[in-house]
Amino acid sequence: MKPLSPTLRDNYRYIAFRLSFEEPIRARDLQTEIARTAKSLFGDVGVSKLNIRVVAFDGSKGLVRCNFRHVPELQMTLASISKIKNKRICVTAIGTSGTIKAAIEKYLQIEEKIRRNISSYVTMPVSGKAVRICGKEIDIIPEDRKTVDRADVNFIGITIDDNERLI
Amino acid sequence: MHAYIDIGVHAFPEGADTLKRLNLVAYGLGFSQIVVTAHSPHWSQFPDSSLPLGVEIVAATVRDLRKKIAFFRDITTIVSVHGGDERINRAACKDDRVDILMHPERGKYNGINQVTAKFAEKSEVALGMSLDYFWKTEELERSRLLAFQRRNVALCRKFGVPIIITSDAYSHFDLRTPRQLKALAGLLLLTDWEAEIALSKAPLSIMKRKGQKEETIL
Repeated sequence: MKPLSPTLRDNYRYIAFRLSFEEPIRARDLQTEIARTAKSLFGDVGVSKLNIRVVAFDGSKGLVRCNFRHVPELQMTLASISKIKNKRICVTAIGTSGTIKAAIEKYLQIEEKIRRNISSYVTMPVSGKAVRICGKEIDIIPEDRKTVDRADVNFIGITIDDNERLI
Repeated sequence: MHAYIDIGVHAFPEGADTLKRLNLVAYGLGFSQIVVTAHSPHWSQFPDSSLPLGVEIVAATVRDLRKKIAFFRDITTIVSVHGGDERINRAACKDDRVDILMHPERGKYNGINQVTAKFAEKSEVALGMSLDYFWKTEELERSRLLAFQRRNVALCRKFGVPIIITSDAYSHFDLRTPRQLKALAGLLLLTDWEAEIALSKAPLSIMKRKGQKEETIL
């Protein structure tokens, strides 16, 4: 099929996002969840206008595309995502751009913090097993699950300043 | 650019993340400050060295509410009331010692009417709109709360009641960027400017007001 001329093509905006997650997720699952949330918020007719598609995703950051008139709707959709396959995630929009190249150059060329698994028993500020460290952030699986159940997560989040023994 | 403040965050041991972790994440998201408000039943779990700046009073009766306001007023910076029950909502709006009435729509109806709104305006009680139901609830519950909040926004606008937008976060997964919160506020029919004020000037003025009250007492 002959391609459309540039003036007839749809105009898009690209939103760069960062993902916080409990367990790593796949691009396909993220795409499905975005579509499901958008449908839940705006219905079939709304989703057809948004034209959402995940353009790139590397596990912790990526680009999602939408029609240029509906950027706030995509922001709302990304903000309303909280779980994928019963694991907590949080999608944070970093910035919006008109081209993929500009979006990558402006927002996605940031140094990734190295996430590594650890195994260390801690008692401060909560007794449990420290399992992950990422920059200054440490995740703990607590012995008493009352707090994590209340917050609907799997880990207690602390920083290195809360427990300096873990450095 | 405005300094954004999230005024209704719940930190460990009530929430899942320590204050330092929440601060670290919130700063990365673009907030200049977060204010931890612990629900009153969890207040005693906080160690004396790190008591939260604010409290969210949970009360079953109006009498209980007044008692708790009298107790917490002197030991916390911000006194907010856990809304939902219409009698509690009205009593909170009548009391000028209260700073914020949080999520009054979490009952059977939207929680406030024109009478309550007038009281809130007179006593300078702000209305807290927690947007956490967007990511914590689904379908019917979400649309019900959205409808109630829209009605409350219209009442606040008519009677000049200040509005505060908060994420009501229990962990860093519940924190959203100010831009995302402003986009969600658009669904409550708040304009961009109103949402901006609800995230920056309104919380700041509450914190300043408390400081002025303390100076007057001294």
